[in-house]
Amino acid sequence: MSSTATTNQGAHKSPNPFSWLTENTLHGMARRKALLGYLFLAPTILGILIFTAGPVIFSFVLSLFRWNVFSPPEWIGAVNYTRMFTDSRALTGFWNSFVFVLFAVALQVALGLLLAMILQTRMPMWLRYTYRTSFLLPMLMSGAATAIVLGYMLHKEFGAVNYYLGLLGIPQIPWLTQPGWAMVSVIMSYLWLATGFTMILFIGGLNNISAEILDAADVDGAQGLTRFWHITLPLVSPTLLFAAVTGVIGGLQVFDLPYIMTRGGPGDSTRTAVMVMYESAFKNMEIGYGSTIAVVLFLIILAVTAGQFGLSKRWVFYQ
Amino acid sequence: MSTQQPNRLSRRDFLRWSGATAAVLAVAACAPSTPAPQSGADAGAAPSAEKIVLRMQVNPEQEKPVVDMYRAINPNVDFEFVSVTGIDHEEVAAKILTLVASGQALDLGYAATEATQLYAGQKLAAPIDEWVKRDAAELQEYFADVHPSLIQAMMWEGSLYQLPIDFNAANMYYNVAVLQEAGVEAPKTDWTKDDFYNIAKAATKKNASGATETYGYAWTNRLWGGWMPWIFVNDSNLLVEEEAPGGEWLWGQFYADDPAAQGRGGGWRWTAPKANDPANVEALEFLVQLHEEGITPAIELGGGDTLQGFFTTGKLAMTPAGGFWAGGLNNAGMPNGSFDVQLMPKWKNQRHQFGTAGQWIFADGKNKDAAWDYMKFRISKDAMMANGMFNPVTLTTPTRRSMLTAERFAETGPANWQVFYATLDDHPDTAPIPAPPVSNPMTATFVAYTSRAMNGEMTPQAALDGMQKDLEDLYARTPNMYTRSS
Amino acid sequence: MQSTTTPFAPPRRSAGAATGDYLRYRLGRWLVLLATACFAVIVVAPFAWTVSTSMRLPMESFSVPPQWIVLNPDWSNYARVFERIPFFRQILNSFIVTIAVVIGQLFTASLAGYAFARLEFPGRNLLFWLIMATMMIPLQATIIPVFVIISRLGLANTLWALIIPALPTAFGAFLMRQYFLGVPKDFEEAAVIDGANQLQIFGRVYLPLVTPALAVLAMLVFNGTWNDFFRPLIFINDPYLFTIPLGLNDLKGYMATGSISVVLAGVTMSLIPVVIVYIFGQRYLIEGIMMGGVKG
Repeated sequence: MSSTATTNQGAHKSPNPFSWLTENTLHGMARRKALLGYLFLAPTILGILIFTAGPVIFSFVLSLFRWNVFSPPEWIGAVNYTRMFTDSRALTGFWNSFVFVLFAVALQVALGLLLAMILQTRMPMWLRYTYRTSFLLPMLMSGAATAIVLGYMLHKEFGAVNYYLGLLGIPQIPWLTQPGWAMVSVIMSYLWLATGFTMILFIGGLNNISAEILDAADVDGAQGLTRFWHITLPLVSPTLLFAAVTGVIGGLQVFDLPYIMTRGGPGDSTRTAVMVMYESAFKNMEIGYGSTIAVVLFLIILAVTAGQFGLSKRWVFYQ
Repeated sequence: MSTQQPNRLSRRDFLRWSGATAAVLAVAACAPSTPAPQSGADAGAAPSAEKIVLRMQVNPEQEKPVVDMYRAINPNVDFEFVSVTGIDHEEVAAKILTLVASGQALDLGYAATEATQLYAGQKLAAPIDEWVKRDAAELQEYFADVHPSLIQAMMWEGSLYQLPIDFNAANMYYNVAVLQEAGVEAPKTDWTKDDFYNIAKAATKKNASGATETYGYAWTNRLWGGWMPWIFVNDSNLLVEEEAPGGEWLWGQFYADDPAAQGRGGGWRWTAPKANDPANVEALEFLVQLHEEGITPAIELGGGDTLQGFFTTGKLAMTPAGGFWAGGLNNAGMPNGSFDVQLMPKWKNQRHQFGTAGQWIFADGKNKDAAWDYMKFRISKDAMMANGMFNPVTLTTPTRRSMLTAERFAETGPANWQVFYATLDDHPDTAPIPAPPVSNPMTATFVAYTSRAMNGEMTPQAALDGMQKDLEDLYARTPNMYTRSS
Repeated sequence: MQSTTTPFAPPRRSAGAATGDYLRYRLGRWLVLLATACFAVIVVAPFAWTVSTSMRLPMESFSVPPQWIVLNPDWSNYARVFERIPFFRQILNSFIVTIAVVIGQLFTASLAGYAFARLEFPGRNLLFWLIMATMMIPLQATIIPVFVIISRLGLANTLWALIIPALPTAFGAFLMRQYFLGVPKDFEEAAVIDGANQLQIFGRVYLPLVTPALAVLAMLVFNGTWNDFFRPLIFINDPYLFTIPLGLNDLKGYMATGSISVVLAGVTMSLIPVVIVYIFGQRYLIEGIMMGGVKG
């Protein structure tokens, strides 16, 4: 953008060095919008350059080195990458992240939408308020506190959960001490924490469905599942996309829950890619290798998100 | 695990401290000249001429009394506390490394066995040999009071890196009421693995449907005090252990008359993995058997707070822990006399594993002489008696034999507190947990495969074979761990 | 919530639906509400357990069956929390950091979101995708370089270290963009015809229309910042500057020699201010969503 004033061309008012910008034409308006766009973006772009993009480029560079913090970094090219694809623990981490995100996000979105729809039905005000508050409450707890509290409650022998399941005749479930169940526990805990917010998103989305469309649906006699598939779902599809995208991104970065609740165990069964990265970089001081995992994770998230947006053109419907 | 207390909280008002410190300073200024210890920091310069600021990794609350005492005689030294907390040793080390990586240098750290060789091996820590030799006369009393096993654990390739302040060997805690109810006698010093099994079995109570209500034995999955004690009493180790050459300067100077110090070298070397040694397989099979028989609950990772919960609520008869448990049980409301402690039972031998901790000096620190001076002060008996780790409640075992007294444990118990030091005195072959410079990834591997065996995913043999292979890979990736390149 | 926006509409009695259909509908509705009630109880149970266990002697904290109602509350666990951590100071730190980050992010995100949604300029799509890409960078991947920058700026071990790097937000920009996109372009055209300039269009026309998005973002940022564990864990060393999640972590004590009841007492107290904020904030949030005039 040129900072020098150009000659006053089409202005019919007083001469103004900024007239190229202020002129009351479509061109002037476009220029004003463009300038405003850059101005509005400046804080975000500057901040992200300094605190995210710059550091991640640094991480890219680091992934090509062997560096343990103490000795000078040693250039090793792609060795970290070839190692990663033969490292069973890292591959397990990516697999666990995949499983976690698949179930956690699908259930988070489904449950969030279901709860939002239930809350939209006719019910006394106080009941609606009570439900909504109850479902949102877990949001207030930190991941760390959740891991502590639910970890106690899911204890196999003396936890409250198995006690009540026992009353129903269900034998003690090894929630945290058997691989499959441990993953189930982490996913459940995540849902406990995260579903409330998704529900709120859908309440917003449902509320924005225009009354005319619903009325039209009523006139057409659309009921039940038909109504859900053909009317409700398409109309909340932007919210659905948003919840799915942020869910995948957030889910792939979940750290404190498995870190505190199961420490990645038993075995490596709940060790996610982010945990492997943290452990490699910080606990084992293989900063380069940890950066490699971070870079690959980043590329995966990027690809998945781009895919989600790409596919979204087929099913997301903006009113 | 052992001993380091990176996380013990209680901290009070820092502002109040500065006030208190100022008051102490004022008193100190008026006091008749205190016999200040020969300090490396003020060699050359007049004391108080220049302010020195020591950045120190400590628990501020516990350190405060010691710092106050020190500043009363060294008013020119200021302290900046860096409280590094973490859920385990690996996390504490991770944070120290992050600090170092970002250029936030410290002067003094506090590390346990788990990290001693990590810092020494990376040359992050400075050897303290020259200072020790210089101040030998002052230190004589300290070394005479501390068992050589603990000192040797702080050595690396012939040099000393830390002066141990606290330690914990894994002994066996038992709940008195649970054993009484089961009608079994409390274990004796010379009990055996079979005695242990019988007591654990007798103490285990099951309900009508076969689910256990009181467990005979429980442990948490970690390096120190997990199932490592059973590896040790079965006359084995996770890694091949050797003694490094060197160290004569130390043993000759301070332990010439101590038979327990005879033949000791310059620290431990853990040169290769031997996870699937038949003795280890046998030990793990024993622990899996205890689980299958319902004597031991499913093994969890991490903390130990659930274990403490079971123990204090009478749902658990026995568990391995160190002196740090006495204060913890007391805090949890368990009165003296309701629990006690005994040595680990004898299997092939009765060799125990321990961890110990103390301060270390950052090699890149600007005030290493001053750091040494404080480190030396901190292991003086007065300073250790004032230390929040041991006063008012014993939160971990002091390394000084003379501090383990009936009076110390009178209120909290255990009655059999002599066991803590007897573990060293009566079993001089007792040794630190294996913790080479790669102890962090090694611990992760150890813990992961242990849980696979304990939950039946793998047989003990298969789990230990897998562990062996992963550890061999780890050792192959980090050659020359024990070469001391300049 | 107005019944006109209900996704499950009752059968229209006026349309002559059979009485049987209507009864079935009523019955189904009550079953759904009952199931929802059970679900709500399960969701809230961990809170009840936390509070009741925090008032029990440590030795009783593992009692089975769980005692939900404490007959003889033992408040000493709460006193213990204050002995062990500077609780009020840490709560205050959490508030300072959280409020600063919420305000800052609302500012940067609404500007950036608007720019992406409604302003046209060269490189907009490229910039958008670049920024979206950074949203997918795991925080852990950048922590060392960021810590170096923070240290160079002299901000390590200050609350600024928790605020400044948290102000730019790709996520917030994305969220706001989505909402701005939902506002029909007719609004802008109408405003232009009325003679509004671009800043006015943003501030007076668009921003009020996305109040629900601002409320959602504020709530989310509040939550995320309040509960953030990883960043303060690395940036802050002084317990006097800790935010409350770190303080709670400290309560656990090393080797878990701190008792469960004390930890849960700390968790309970740390929830009180958030619950208060939330009780008011929730109303605002929901009202915001209701008022949002974003309709096709």
